Amino acid sequence: MILPHSQLLLLSLAAGSTVLAASNDGAARPRGVGPEFAKFYKDTTTFSCISNPAIKIPFSAVNDDFCDCPDGSDEPGTSACSYISSQSALTVAERPGHDEIELKASLPGFYCKNKGHKPAYIPFQRVNDGVCDYSICCDGSDEWAHVGGTKCEDRCKEIGKAWRKQDEQRQKSLTAALRKKKELLVDAGRQQKEVEDHIERLEMELKGEELKVSQLEQDLEEIQKQESRKVVKSKKKGKVNVLAQLAKERVEELRNALIDVRKERDETRSRVKELEEILAKFKVEYNPNFNDEGVKRAVRSWEEYAAREDTENQDGNAAFDRDLDEISKADSGATGIDWDKWENEEGGHESDIIYQLAAYLPPSIVAFLEDKFISAKTFLEKNGILAEAEGEASSEPKAVAEARDRLKAAQGDLKKIQKTLDEHRSDLETDYGTASIFRALKDVCISKDSGEYEYEHCFLDKTRQKPKKGGSTALMGKFVRISTVSADELNEAGELVQVEKLALEYANGQSCWNGPARSTTVILECGEENEILKVMEDEKCVYSMLATSPAACVGGEAEGNVAPRQKDEL
Amino acid sequence: MARSRPASSRWTLLLAFVVLVACLVAPGVSVKHENFKKCSQSGFCKRNRAFADEATTQASSWSSPYELDASTIRFENGQLEGVVIKTVSSNEKVRLPLTISFLESGVARVVVDEEKRTKGEIELRHDSQARKQRYNEAGQWALVGGLDLSQSALLSSEAEPGFTKITYGPDNKFQAIIHHAPFNVEFQRDGETHVQLNKKGYLNVEHWRPKVDLPEGEESVEDQSTWWEETFGGNTDSKPKGPESVGLDISFPGYSHVFGIPEHADSLSLKETRGGSGNHEEPYRMYNSDVFEYELNSPMTLYGAIPFMQAHRKDSTVGVFWLNAAETWVDIVKTKSSSNPLSLGVGSKTSTQTHWFSEAGQLDIFVFLGPTPREMSKTYGELTGYTQLPQQFAIAYHQCRWNYVTDEDVKEVDRKFDKYQIPYDVIWLDIEYTDGKKYFSWDPLTFPDPKGMEEQLDESERKLVVIIDPHIKNTNDNPVDQELQSKELGVKKKDNTLYEGWCWPGSSHWVDCFNPAAIKWWVNLFKYDNFKGTLPNVFIWNDMNEPSVFNGPETTMPKDNMHYGNWEHRDVHNVNGLTLVNATFNALVERKKGELQRPFILTRSFFAGAQRVSAMWTGDNQATWEHLAISLPMVLTNGVAGFPFAGADVGGFFNNPSKELLTRWYQTGIWYPFLRAHAHIDTRRREPYLVGDPYMGIISQALRLRYQLLPAWYTAFHEASVNGMPIVRPQYYVHPNDENGFAIDDQLYLGSTGLLTKPVVQEGATSVEIYLADDEKYYDYFDYTIYQGAGKKHTVPAPLEKVPVLMQGGHIIPRRDRPRRSSGLMKWDPYTLVIVLDKNGEADGSLYVDDGETFDFERGGYIFRRFRFGENTLTSEDIGTTGPKTAGYLKTMAGVHVEKIVVVNAPSTWHDRTSVTVMEDGAKSATTASLQYFAQPAGKAAYAIVKNPDVAIGKAWKIDF
Repeated sequence: MILPHSQLLLLSLAAGSTVLAASNDGAARPRGVGPEFAKFYKDTTTFSCISNPAIKIPFSAVNDDFCDCPDGSDEPGTSACSYISSQSALTVAERPGHDEIELKASLPGFYCKNKGHKPAYIPFQRVNDGVCDYSICCDGSDEWAHVGGTKCEDRCKEIGKAWRKQDEQRQKSLTAALRKKKELLVDAGRQQKEVEDHIERLEMELKGEELKVSQLEQDLEEIQKQESRKVVKSKKKGKVNVLAQLAKERVEELRNALIDVRKERDETRSRVKELEEILAKFKVEYNPNFNDEGVKRAVRSWEEYAAREDTENQDGNAAFDRDLDEISKADSGATGIDWDKWENEEGGHESDIIYQLAAYLPPSIVAFLEDKFISAKTFLEKNGILAEAEGEASSEPKAVAEARDRLKAAQGDLKKIQKTLDEHRSDLETDYGTASIFRALKDVCISKDSGEYEYEHCFLDKTRQKPKKGGSTALMGKFVRISTVSADELNEAGELVQVEKLALEYANGQSCWNGPARSTTVILECGEENEILKVMEDEKCVYSMLATSPAACVGGEAEGNVAPRQKDEL
Repeated sequence: MARSRPASSRWTLLLAFVVLVACLVAPGVSVKHENFKKCSQSGFCKRNRAFADEATTQASSWSSPYELDASTIRFENGQLEGVVIKTVSSNEKVRLPLTISFLESGVARVVVDEEKRTKGEIELRHDSQARKQRYNEAGQWALVGGLDLSQSALLSSEAEPGFTKITYGPDNKFQAIIHHAPFNVEFQRDGETHVQLNKKGYLNVEHWRPKVDLPEGEESVEDQSTWWEETFGGNTDSKPKGPESVGLDISFPGYSHVFGIPEHADSLSLKETRGGSGNHEEPYRMYNSDVFEYELNSPMTLYGAIPFMQAHRKDSTVGVFWLNAAETWVDIVKTKSSSNPLSLGVGSKTSTQTHWFSEAGQLDIFVFLGPTPREMSKTYGELTGYTQLPQQFAIAYHQCRWNYVTDEDVKEVDRKFDKYQIPYDVIWLDIEYTDGKKYFSWDPLTFPDPKGMEEQLDESERKLVVIIDPHIKNTNDNPVDQELQSKELGVKKKDNTLYEGWCWPGSSHWVDCFNPAAIKWWVNLFKYDNFKGTLPNVFIWNDMNEPSVFNGPETTMPKDNMHYGNWEHRDVHNVNGLTLVNATFNALVERKKGELQRPFILTRSFFAGAQRVSAMWTGDNQATWEHLAISLPMVLTNGVAGFPFAGADVGGFFNNPSKELLTRWYQTGIWYPFLRAHAHIDTRRREPYLVGDPYMGIISQALRLRYQLLPAWYTAFHEASVNGMPIVRPQYYVHPNDENGFAIDDQLYLGSTGLLTKPVVQEGATSVEIYLADDEKYYDYFDYTIYQGAGKKHTVPAPLEKVPVLMQGGHIIPRRDRPRRSSGLMKWDPYTLVIVLDKNGEADGSLYVDDGETFDFERGGYIFRRFRFGENTLTSEDIGTTGPKTAGYLKTMAGVHVEKIVVVNAPSTWHDRTSVTVMEDGAKSATTASLQYFAQPAGKAAYAIVKNPDVAIGKAWKIDF
């Protein structure tokens, strides 16, 4: 395995003296030089450093395993200049006499000819390191010095063959992907057209409905005028009686609401109590040594909460409850209002009614009404428990009511149309990507098994995570926007370049225990299928999904980046 | 603008107030003090401090009740035996057998035991099954040698009555003067006392006594409140043996600095502990504990303990090693005394008095008389062992995180490092890789193919480290636990039934590695056939081995738990962590028959001796500048205490570091012997390639600097492995006579290379002040700027992208300049030698190389060269010892050459020189290599470069300049 010293020496001599490696593309190039750099190595007596041509060295110093040029160009075939990089901590001795020059490699790497496959550049730091880097250098030429007995046979034939097969597959797949993309585009275009058409239709409908409404408004006005004259005459009872009846109904309604709300309140209270008991127990029983910041924070918050509760403890509860009990009882002469009396009361000035009514109420209720009624009512209304009181009396003449109903119905229809229209318009304004392609994928869901979870991505809708070990599905984000992310990728020359990639952003998912609300960036690459390749948690509860989709392929849109109408336009 | 100022200043004030209040209530940044004992909450600490206070109060009227019975003294073969009598009362005397051993190395060992307990003539309470003896087996774990008795030690015949004198040590220049009554011992070197035991009369051996239940109403004359059961944090310690502590004062007359006794988040030079401005109120405590969010500048205990202390003054270093595995506290007081009362401070000297006490066990002390730090390291290492020479990868860069979540995740991180061409050697897996926290298993969903992952790492010679903790999940579906139970290999409760506590898996049992059968079993668990999914490139991290028990007293085990041999946990606590690592080490040496390699284990808990088997890190630190700063004294202290393979989590474990902090932490971390980045599960990912420009490039430069210097690091590790010298050294080790540097602990030297660095640990800093002790020229590592001037600080630029590091004149630094993916792939790369000339135009250095994996080095399979430059000649000389593996190794290394020689501060007479003459051993004739001289502007040193001298690293050669 191990080469004797003499043999190694021979090898390095061979490398040193015969710097020109044989090649069958005519011109001989030093080891590791790619064809595009061959011109710099033509002069076989003197070599000028590529980026610093003022620096000249004898050609024998090319590939002599010692770095002479500040750009490393004298060592295309060794690792001697591999430290020429902004990532190395360099001293003045690495740039002797040129400490003003920024050291930057002018060669992308060691050129592997890879005969039978594609040529490639391998980073200099991998040359003669004892590893056969077949993924880049299938001919094994990067290990020409056989350090430590490393031997890398030429595998280009098989690797090339496999690669070509794969590439063919890839090409096929790309063609298929593009075809699918076109389908998607057509689909998206059709959907877009549908929306546009719908809008057109709705706009017409809207106009019609508006006309109808204004007609009905006029009708109602007319009928009201006619009927108002009748009302005064045909009135059977005095206003007080009407009012009393109304008031009775109203109070009854309020009372029932109050009873319901109290019931709900009591239930909520008992749940709060139960929760507080759980938390109190949690505080006592949690293990402070489980170094979990989240638990500790929860306990602290609980302590603060508990402290606050103590000071705010409402003492008036019992009295308040007694009041409510009183109010909740059905009315009779003794408690509450003697409605019979009021419903049959005659005459009297309307302006006194309120005062008279008050006079008949037990003092507790008067006080209660004054103090609490308004706020209670507002509270109930705000929480949607009580409908807001309607301004109009319910005892209207039938004709007026009917006219009003017709108007209301028409107004409702109008609203509906307007709403649908707004939705469609805003949908049309929504960014569905170039040529609205994602219109065709909206709500399409794909999933992927990965580690402990199954991940799901529903295009332009949401991302989710289902634990395999049981437990509930977590929302990893709701759709926010289509965007791009830039990723570092290695180019053909093995250099890092920034590549823009299509991305779908999802945010405001379920909050993490002790972390932010989950969010996901779905990074899309061109592929035949809509498929999640992998899922990564970049940081706590911030995910990225790498996925393929025909939608991410380049091309296929019609001129002006719009969706083509038909497939054959493509 | 002007008008708005008052308002804005009011706002500033308000803001400042709000910030202040926020700071006061800021949660989660400080330790839970209530979880850990203060001295006043620890019975024996309180008693021993009170005892010391009593002695101090009584001053000259105090008489230590201990007396060496002269009639019992025997001296034979370097060992003195006798009995110390403790007078409890006129009719109660306690016999305490004394042994003083004078060792060949010049170290003296003093052991005091208690006859009644030794003979078992005591009764234990609560029907305890515990051993009646004082624990005397700490040495079985801590000591490996150096115990040969001195044949030349002599009982002096000149001693006055009441004294016994023994001369010993090199040339018998040491002398122990034993005062019989009260018993105390002075250790002298060259006629001067350097260490004195019981000078202050704090000697305290709490003898066994029965508990006497006094009739009601009657009170004991003594305060017995801490003698029997002790309760802390809801846990009651039954203390079946009653009070049994040992305490002693150890004085270092004329010494103003003491160092060592890790692990504490504190300065290198230990502080006084009896209050006063800048001092601690509490003694330094050693009781290995999992301290959550530990605080800085504190004597509070941490995860590990090495009860070894050095006292240092100009021209002399001495020390003591307190061999006791029980909970131990050390009080330190410094006093200024004037040798001549009339001289008023002139010539006054500071002395340091230390007071040590342990809860149980024998009193067992080693006294070292130096006289240099180097001697201290060497003799201490002879006793407790030297650092294991690690595998090459172990001293390169480790990438860790709690947690890389899947095997694919690991592979992706691996690929990313290559993509960005950042070197790393090891990737780590924290607890989440296991199947439900069952060690020796893999989560089948997240790590379905561990071997595939390990194989990918192996392609670039990279390694995987996985965590294995001592707590074994208590479930029926855990075969490891079933075995532990059926074979009775767990730690037991006081009633001798299996102990159950809580840790990561929930309910758990703890393997008892004091038990030889448990070690055997543990070793077996790591065989490739048993720990499925592991390949030879998998190594181990032993965490939580204090042991950490979430529901135990002080987050550890009850002291009355029982270990193998019926020793109580109190007796063995501090050595517990080491026993686990020891077992793991035995496991990793040979996981398959015939396949031997050097183990790598990282441990959090440690005791004296752990250096033989592991590396350590400073536990769960935080991403703050203060934590970055404290890492330097902590790492230096560990080196002083013989366990130099140390580091802190780069980036800070808890919370997210700013990019600047992370960058500075890498620039600091590359100077830790153990270099690992780690992060808590709740933090953002922070692998170096994620931080963006310019930080990524700067971090990469720092890591490449570490890799470039790996030959120097490996040589420093080799030195530590043969003579115990710290790998990174504090100022007082390198300049033991420069008093101004003794307390400096924010700059360090790398091995013997003369590389001096002062990492930036302050936000926004653009320069550092480096203190130079000597008048030698120092050169900036990168541009050769010259700094010279002894005893003062020099401003060295340190913008974000620069690591401030200087080269001391007079050294030859070996490097490997070609960046590779991992250190394993640098194996065949050529060397660069940097010759940093001193004032006389000379330099000296060494290089140690071996295969970095196997034990072949033990049989000569290595290259060890000394390089010397003088009189314009550079030579390489073999300083190794040939063995059966030497020739073979040299053959494999024959192709590895020196590619470049840089001479810093090259004489200007070389300006027209163009070549040097090279003579290699065995070559027929001399050859030449090109030399180029480069002048530099004023203030920077000129340098010369020899190109391709073409000499083999393993050969003898000579180069004439």
